[in-house]
Amino acid sequence: MSYTISDLCNGCGACMRLCPVDAITGEKKEKHHIVEELCIECGACGRICPEGAVINSEGQVCSTIKRSQWNKPRFDEKLCSSCNICIDACPVNCIGLSEARSAKDPHGYPYLREEKACIGCGFCADECPIDAVVMA
Amino acid sequence: MNRGYMGKILNVDLGAGTIGEEVISNEIYETYLSGMGLSAALLYKRIPAGADPLGPDNILGFVSGLLTGTGSFFTGRWMVVGKSPITGGWGDANCGGNFSPAIKRCGYDGIFFTGISEKPVYLSLKNGSAELCDARYLWGKDAVETEEILIDEAGGDAKVACIGPAGENLSYIAGISNDKGRLAARSGLGAVMGSKRLKAVVLSGATRIRAADSDEMKKLSKQCNKWVQFQPPFVSGPATAKVGALLRVMPTQMAQDGMLFKIILKKWGTACMNQMSIEMGDSPIKNWMGSNKNFGSKKSFATNPDAIIAREHIKYHCYSCPLGCGGVCSLEGEYSETHKPEYETVLALGGLCMNEDVESLFALNEALNRAGMDSISAGSTVAFAIECFERGILTKEETDGLELTWGNTEAIKILIQKMITREGVGDLFADGSKFAAKKIGNGSAQFAMHAGGQDLPMHDGRNDPGFALHYSVEPTPGRHTIGAQLYYEMFQLWKRVQALPKPAIFYHKNRKYEADEEKAIWAAACSKYVNVMNGAGLCLFGAFLGSKRLPLFDWLNAATGWDKTPEEYMEIGERIQTLRQAFNVKHGVKPTTFVVSDRALGREPLTEGANGHRSVDIEPMMRDYWRLFGWDENSGKPTEDVIR
Repeated sequence: MSYTISDLCNGCGACMRLCPVDAITGEKKEKHHIVEELCIECGACGRICPEGAVINSEGQVCSTIKRSQWNKPRFDEKLCSSCNICIDACPVNCIGLSEARSAKDPHGYPYLREEKACIGCGFCADECPIDAVVMA
Repeated sequence: MNRGYMGKILNVDLGAGTIGEEVISNEIYETYLSGMGLSAALLYKRIPAGADPLGPDNILGFVSGLLTGTGSFFTGRWMVVGKSPITGGWGDANCGGNFSPAIKRCGYDGIFFTGISEKPVYLSLKNGSAELCDARYLWGKDAVETEEILIDEAGGDAKVACIGPAGENLSYIAGISNDKGRLAARSGLGAVMGSKRLKAVVLSGATRIRAADSDEMKKLSKQCNKWVQFQPPFVSGPATAKVGALLRVMPTQMAQDGMLFKIILKKWGTACMNQMSIEMGDSPIKNWMGSNKNFGSKKSFATNPDAIIAREHIKYHCYSCPLGCGGVCSLEGEYSETHKPEYETVLALGGLCMNEDVESLFALNEALNRAGMDSISAGSTVAFAIECFERGILTKEETDGLELTWGNTEAIKILIQKMITREGVGDLFADGSKFAAKKIGNGSAQFAMHAGGQDLPMHDGRNDPGFALHYSVEPTPGRHTIGAQLYYEMFQLWKRVQALPKPAIFYHKNRKYEADEEKAIWAAACSKYVNVMNGAGLCLFGAFLGSKRLPLFDWLNAATGWDKTPEEYMEIGERIQTLRQAFNVKHGVKPTTFVVSDRALGREPLTEGANGHRSVDIEPMMRDYWRLFGWDENSGKPTEDVIR
């Protein structure tokens, strides 16, 4: 499945610069294109597009959302088992593992190491088997 | 439909420099699973009989697991597969770290290399692109440094598997490193990678991995995690020595529930065994000649579990593991940190060589990880070298002036350095004890502790004869991560597979040594179950939770959409085992030659210590085991009709 770009595209290139898997091609001011096999359906292009030109895998037009309002992961350390699944799931490698919490709890926990890099895809929350990550 | 596996592999011809994708049918996965099962099916057909393990016709595979990335826990294992230069037959090596999901995130279940590259290269996979890159600037660098450079060049976002100097020097005891020193160490596959002049595999993908029923996957994982997190407050590290002593002296034994192991593993890692195993007779001492009498709790105190984790500044979890038995420890000297030394490393370089110097264990741990050399085989080979020297079979002239005496820490360190670089006498020992004995002659072969050329791990079959049996009958001999009587107890397979017998909760110690058919039934079950685990990418330590708490069969069904019974999965495990054995036969291996060294069977028995007067009646157990698989009970060869 893949996202697609409609004729509403104005070729601004914002989606192309943001795509975590380099799946978008296009010239300046010309309609851009998503390579189907590469798309991982993170939704970043849809959120950033100012023209509503991105259509998701279900055929719905994506709404523009101001980047500062995109959801970010919140990590619940009480539930977290430090298994690294969320860290590995992140397509932009923006989640890090902290230093050991304490002598009693010598495990590291996930945290947003690069908050600005987060594209709000929610894969971290999606893949956590025990609901220790929530997008908010 | 989502099925948990990616449905594709990547084939790389290093000679021609070509790279191509290959689609694998659903039927193949349903017949062999992914991971090691898929590999056995492919390599049995594709490696020609007579192929030189270090030649172009050998195929080296890097495979993930069917469950990796699907929402299950404990499923971050990956494997390397290929024809082993040690045995001349089926070879595999298993590792945790962070490499397993990375393979699938590039869109593949496995990456297979054939041919030999003219110049050193590494493979780089990104989203939608695959490239062989010049690795000449990396050749000669250690595995940790190599990985750091490659990750840095990838902008900080890459997972790496690579060889160090040991693999480059074609040492048969070389492995492949990931995440700065986790090793796929066994079967000599590091030498195969070196022979292909393949320095590293660098992965930077973000493809989604999807299960058929992710809600069910999570439900199962939540339940499993409750067992993992149950962790009562604690006793001290040195107290484990007392527990081991208790197990040694008590004639009545208790069938182990793996929750006990889980608890001490989560607290300390495999270091939990460092004293306990010696006291109870699980650890071989002084090249298998000694016992707790030579290396008692005073000597082992320095490696007691609390002492080990005193240096651990953070726990280490492999991908998708909620337990976290690993750790990162501080080091002094050349390097600042090292992965916490495992039990195998501590004993192989410690008690096996009568080496009491703890500092050297940490330093050698890092040296061997960076070299990309198997610490088990390194220790076992050094112990063999020491015994040869002590018996006068090797003179000081022949050892480059090294006084290879028991517990001589400095000599041990120098010898291992030479083995890594193949310098001087190191060249003689760089392929393990069996090959060294061949060259040395003079009756030294009886002191080489191996099975089929694979140097033995630190688990004594004179304490648990199941280890001796698996060392001797598995298509990959000399491995401690497949089966033992203890493992059968902890797997608790009878709770899901009805035909399997439930051992008595309390039993007399002598029962362990009776070579009845039930021992073979237990062993066969372990072999099949571990094959399923290796098709799924599941960690052995997860399986020790017990088959009711660790829902392997249910995860497999939820990830794939299949509806198989535990019996059907065990049948797949059996199929994989037959295929691996058939591989050996095709390549001219005689299964009977894998029998473990006499001394490890208690021939002659030790006269004192935990395993005093104990020996293993291995031959009937091997015959029973082979018969259970439908193979010829005298030769161990699968009959024609068993090979479908």
